[in-house]
Amino acid sequence: MGALEDLFVRLLLLFATPEAINPVLSDPRTVAVLLGALIAVCGGVLGVYLLLRGMALTSDAISHTVLLGIVVAFLVMTGLLGLPPDLSSPLLIVGAAAAGVLTVVLTELIERSGLVKQDAALGLVFPLLFAVAVILVSRYVDNVHIDTDSVLVGEIGMAWANTNSHCLEHCEAVTITPDDPRAVLTRQCVNCRALNISPRDPRAEFREVCANCGMYTPAQAYQAGLTSAAPTLVFWPKSLTVMGLLTLVTLGFVLLLYKELKLSTFDAALAAALGFRPGMLHYALMVLVSLVAVGAFDAVGSILVVAFFIIPPAAAYLLTDRLGVMLLLSPVIGAAGAYWGYDLARGSVFGLVEMSDVLAALNRALGTQLIERWDSSISASMALMMFVLFVAALVISPRYGLVSVSLRRAAMRQQFDDQVILAHLYRHEGAAEAADELAVATLHEHLRWPRGRMQRVLLRLRAWGWIQVEAGIAHLTPQGRQQVEAFREAHLLQT
Amino acid sequence: MGRDEVRVWGGILAVALLGVLFVPFSEWALGVTYDHTLRTVALGGAVLGVVSGVLGSFAVLRRESLIGDALAHAALPGVGVAFLLAGRELSVLLIGAGVASWLGVYVIHLLTSRTRLKQDVAMGVVLAAWFAAGIALLTYIQARPDASQAGLSSFIFGQAAAMVERDVQLISAVGGAAFVVLLAFWKEFKLITFDVEFAAANGFPVVLLRLVLSTLIVVAIVLGLQLAGVILMVGLLIAPGVAARQWTHHLGQMAALAGVMGAFAGGVGAILSAVDRKLPTGPMIVIVAALLVFASLAFAPGRGLVWAMLRQRADQKRYAARHVLADLYKYASDHGGASSGVPDAFVRGVRGGEAPIGLAKLQRDGLIQASGTHWTLTREGIRAAEQAERSGQGGDDGRT
Repeated sequence: MGALEDLFVRLLLLFATPEAINPVLSDPRTVAVLLGALIAVCGGVLGVYLLLRGMALTSDAISHTVLLGIVVAFLVMTGLLGLPPDLSSPLLIVGAAAAGVLTVVLTELIERSGLVKQDAALGLVFPLLFAVAVILVSRYVDNVHIDTDSVLVGEIGMAWANTNSHCLEHCEAVTITPDDPRAVLTRQCVNCRALNISPRDPRAEFREVCANCGMYTPAQAYQAGLTSAAPTLVFWPKSLTVMGLLTLVTLGFVLLLYKELKLSTFDAALAAALGFRPGMLHYALMVLVSLVAVGAFDAVGSILVVAFFIIPPAAAYLLTDRLGVMLLLSPVIGAAGAYWGYDLARGSVFGLVEMSDVLAALNRALGTQLIERWDSSISASMALMMFVLFVAALVISPRYGLVSVSLRRAAMRQQFDDQVILAHLYRHEGAAEAADELAVATLHEHLRWPRGRMQRVLLRLRAWGWIQVEAGIAHLTPQGRQQVEAFREAHLLQT
Repeated sequence: MGRDEVRVWGGILAVALLGVLFVPFSEWALGVTYDHTLRTVALGGAVLGVVSGVLGSFAVLRRESLIGDALAHAALPGVGVAFLLAGRELSVLLIGAGVASWLGVYVIHLLTSRTRLKQDVAMGVVLAAWFAAGIALLTYIQARPDASQAGLSSFIFGQAAAMVERDVQLISAVGGAAFVVLLAFWKEFKLITFDVEFAAANGFPVVLLRLVLSTLIVVAIVLGLQLAGVILMVGLLIAPGVAARQWTHHLGQMAALAGVMGAFAGGVGAILSAVDRKLPTGPMIVIVAALLVFASLAFAPGRGLVWAMLRQRADQKRYAARHVLADLYKYASDHGGASSGVPDAFVRGVRGGEAPIGLAKLQRDGLIQASGTHWTLTREGIRAAEQAERSGQGGDDGRT
């Protein structure tokens, strides 16, 4: 991990100076948004495949059961191996990934017995594993930071404070030994207290003690005045490393195996026949989902991470039919949700409305006594903002949005009505019953339409010049007749 | 009543009896003392188990098991809003939870019917968004200076110990009302569960009925929040249904059995959690329910995995015996008459892995006997082999 962090820092330094980086990396907002965006990229990309494979809720199940993996790995670590409790140990990550795969395998086993449907199998397995985890936590894990709050919400807001420092220049660590000229030596009386005498007493014996010996990190050395130049340090938030690594792995996985994933997602049988091992890809995907779930555990909690996996891909799915576009849109939507979500947690909606104003207005209107300062969970607000973006996509999506679908439906209904009336006129015009069938006043009764609908249709047809009304009887104009004939031709209707 | 029916009702009685007997057993063997709290919690768990078991059966059959998960999570913002508006009164909080969760049902339904999103995605979106709203609200509420909000987050994991007698009465009353509705629309619910198209074609208001049924499931979830919490509620909702499904093909019997199994899981889980102060109630209930499921999957008559395995093994033996018998008969006939001996090495060489199984079964059935390194057909054996040959079942089924 340390080497990787170094790499990240060096990469960053290609673009900016340490003086520019440090304020950015110690800004709570920037770090939280950055971390949220990284989770959104991982979740958004993997979520697209989950959604297309009909496994959207598997991420929900896995995000619950990684807790079991973490707890079991933790107990093994402290109980069996006798290691010190450490929540950032890689062993926990291995445990979580194993638990994720276990969830999927157990579900598939139960489903394959043929006795239980897939949804019920999932609904059996993950509450069971989660229940076991909760029992283990409450029975065996005391005084450790696996409490309910971190399970639920995470601590993305505090990510900036938990850093490793990386030294770039003047990285002189200093060790001072008693022989060093800089050592400050003092004399200490060895037997004064025992003999109850003063140090001035001739019987007193002395020994030399070094007051400032020891190891100094570069920063400490500079502070103590042992080095002349201030070391250049970069403070790197630890959680960025984990999520950064996961993002690289996820993107690498998807870019390298794009073709294979696409094929096995849309046609698993063909993929198998061509020798692409869709089973392996399936489990690799599940391992990645588990890894991201556990990597995001600290930051956003085990349940809210589901929002990062499901909502952005669902929004992207409403916007496009193309896998490549979806894979781009989904992380962008997630990252945008993370960006505006941080502001929402601090009480500002898109920078347009202040929550405190809303709460104050509510207090005035309803007479309630709500606290007017809105300060809420950052991760939950990020999820909420993703939902807001989802709703936006739902409404305005050009092809599948509610607006465009209802507009298209209305247009089709109009077209249908027009054709019906035109055909009716075409059929009865010039025949004996024309006077009866084509009277504008009673036309709606023949078709059993509401009067208003018929009036609207007739108005429209007259406006387009396809019919005209003479003495209360509707006639087709030549253009109208052309319309009907074109329609009949297009639909191959015989006379 | 047919034999199957007797068996199912017997099973229902047996589970109920086991549950009742568990009370003295736990006192005697586990050292559980029945104080007032435990009695309340165990009773509450049992009643809740009945309600969620019966209603959950429908979710299982309609392949909407995970809707329980989505709706339980979706209840959380309702708790927050209700608290902000009306304070900490359990019935108000539950109504808030119900409203939020019902809105969730409605949105899931809307997304599934009006967009191209599949049901699982719609459930996931609602689950995540509603839960996030709930967490955001609870975090905001927790910033209040007074302590009035204490314990609101117990809705997330459940807090059985906080249950009082009035809560049990509430659960019973509301659950009873839900049952009345269920019985009143039994036929309709049955229809939309098994054949929606038929119901729609016959003019039943399918959309409305579906919403009513979902509302009943919401009721069960909301009642269970206090005991099991939003995360584990789905286990309590569907596990009894899945277990009961293994024992019967009748909806009525399944619902009854699921109710009894739910009661068993709720009661026994609550009692078991009293064994140690550190055992949380909700998870214990879910584990007991899951054990019921696994037992049912293994041992249910006809469908059970254990029976299927035994059946498979018996089949394997039968086929092996048939093949070996044909081999023996053919070899003996070609080498001096049906009753002459066949070398053991020949059978094993020809039949491979099947040989020992088949030989053992044939010998046990008295169709062959061993004489040194040879096998001879007995008189019954010859008769069986001739019969098999005549009916065309012998040997390699048409290869010779």
